[in-house]
Amino acid sequence: MIEVKDLSKRYGENVALDGVGFTAGENTVIGFLGPNGAGKSTTMNIITGYLSASSGSVRIGDYDTLDQPNEAKKLIGYLPEIPPLYPDMTVKEYLNFVYELKKVTLPRKKHLREICALVRITDVAGRLIGNLSKGYRQRVGLAQALVGNPPVLILDEPTVGLDPKQIIEVRDLIKSLGRDHTVILSSHILPEVQAVADRILIVNRGHLVADGTPFELEHSMSGERHVTARIEGAPQEVERALSGMQGVRRVRNFGEKEPGAYEYEIDAKEDADLRRPLFSLAAKRNWPILSMRSSELSLEDVFLRLTGSAYLRDDALPAVNGKKGGEKQ
Amino acid sequence: MKAIAKKEFKSYFFSPIGYVFVGVVLFLFGIYFYQVIRIGSSSYLTDVYGTMFIWSMMFLPILTMRSFSEELRNHTDQGLLTAPVGVGGIVFGKFLAAFCVFAVAIGLSLIPVVVISFFSSPGWAAIFGTVIGSLLYGAAMIAIGVFISSLTQSQIIAAIATFGVSILLLVLNQIGGLVTNTFLSAALNWISFDSRYQPFSKGILNLSSIVYFLSVAAVFVFLTARRLESKRWG
Repeated sequence: MIEVKDLSKRYGENVALDGVGFTAGENTVIGFLGPNGAGKSTTMNIITGYLSASSGSVRIGDYDTLDQPNEAKKLIGYLPEIPPLYPDMTVKEYLNFVYELKKVTLPRKKHLREICALVRITDVAGRLIGNLSKGYRQRVGLAQALVGNPPVLILDEPTVGLDPKQIIEVRDLIKSLGRDHTVILSSHILPEVQAVADRILIVNRGHLVADGTPFELEHSMSGERHVTARIEGAPQEVERALSGMQGVRRVRNFGEKEPGAYEYEIDAKEDADLRRPLFSLAAKRNWPILSMRSSELSLEDVFLRLTGSAYLRDDALPAVNGKKGGEKQ
Repeated sequence: MKAIAKKEFKSYFFSPIGYVFVGVVLFLFGIYFYQVIRIGSSSYLTDVYGTMFIWSMMFLPILTMRSFSEELRNHTDQGLLTAPVGVGGIVFGKFLAAFCVFAVAIGLSLIPVVVISFFSSPGWAAIFGTVIGSLLYGAAMIAIGVFISSLTQSQIIAAIATFGVSILLLVLNQIGGLVTNTFLSAALNWISFDSRYQPFSKGILNLSSIVYFLSVAAVFVFLTARRLESKRWG
């Protein structure tokens, strides 16, 4: 449904985007993740035709956004970072205007009523947009994107300014929209993307640094596994025995957490799964294991590593990107 | 295009701008009209419209100052430019809405002279010439104002700049009279909105003037569209 090829955007010397490319099939939710200023909004603005790319191309459905902009734009519903609302109009007037602007042919009253119900703004339909709270404005912005029921929805930070309850509502809404739409949403809040997206793209400084399902990303940096265990027994002895186990890189003692029981973090070498050997060892020595947790890198760690200053694309990318890129189409 | 023109026209009257514009133009018209009534001669009526023309030109910047400045400032241009409408349609819609408000003011100012016509015969040729001339002149000025508003996010700057250009175009032929270089003087006279407008005030529908004003309007609508387009490459 969406095909983005080798997108670059330069502002004079400043490179905002450099060779970003991905494809998105139908009925998926794609999370666009990155720190502020990474190029999320720029990418979205180019996809929707608000900005032009310095090079590269975007296809929406069967239309190239440069050759047939109006046909392509018809397929897109866009919620920009700042919703394009007119404060001197009422919600109803505004949605009617958008309906006419987009030249929608669906039955007007029914269609607009459905949208209002969907994003829960029916009760403010008669009020001036200028008098609405940030949360309601955001939802009117979302409603505006939904007018005409376009198959592609591009939402730039859709939950900004909402309270926690509304955030959950909007996330659920996006999830359900993802069943019959292609949704691209951007965010710098990781749990949000994790909660709704089928696939995550991480951008940093204008580069696409990762592309995969949340599961794939979490497992993309193997060799980082470690086990945290709380073991009862004399700490020096336990530590020595743990260090002597096969596949152990390092053992750290976090101190006494319960009377007689210490917590250890055991880093594994490469892919070794330490849980079973640990169990046998403890059983043999009669050290009760009070708790054990195998922790891999969370998505958050992956994100921080990919976007952190020390860790740039060259090392981490091929594993994730090579595997995925374009497979979803 | 239609959707934008409709929304814009309405929004002139959601906000006070439309009312203030029409109200002030008609108020000043009323004052001049009153003076003429006091004199008791309908033969001065054409002069009322002539004076009114200058006043309405002064107020036009108020009408156009917000058209794109406000969109740029509120980032609502993002909604327009990502909608399946051509840039030309957006600009022409805005232009048309401002022109319609102006036309409403000019149209309403005809009411007194229609009433008078029941009792006397005003100089219809000159009055209609002035009205048509005003509309054409106004169309050109509105296109220029819309263009200027697309250059800045500040409504104040847009208004003042348009005001300056408006006055400059009004007095250009006076400058032309002061210049000794005959070519330059002719050129200034050729550009001058005032000398283009003069035939209308005598009740003459000068074809070259009509074409001139319409061309200026078209050129500036086009330039505004290009300006919006160029923002995409910025």
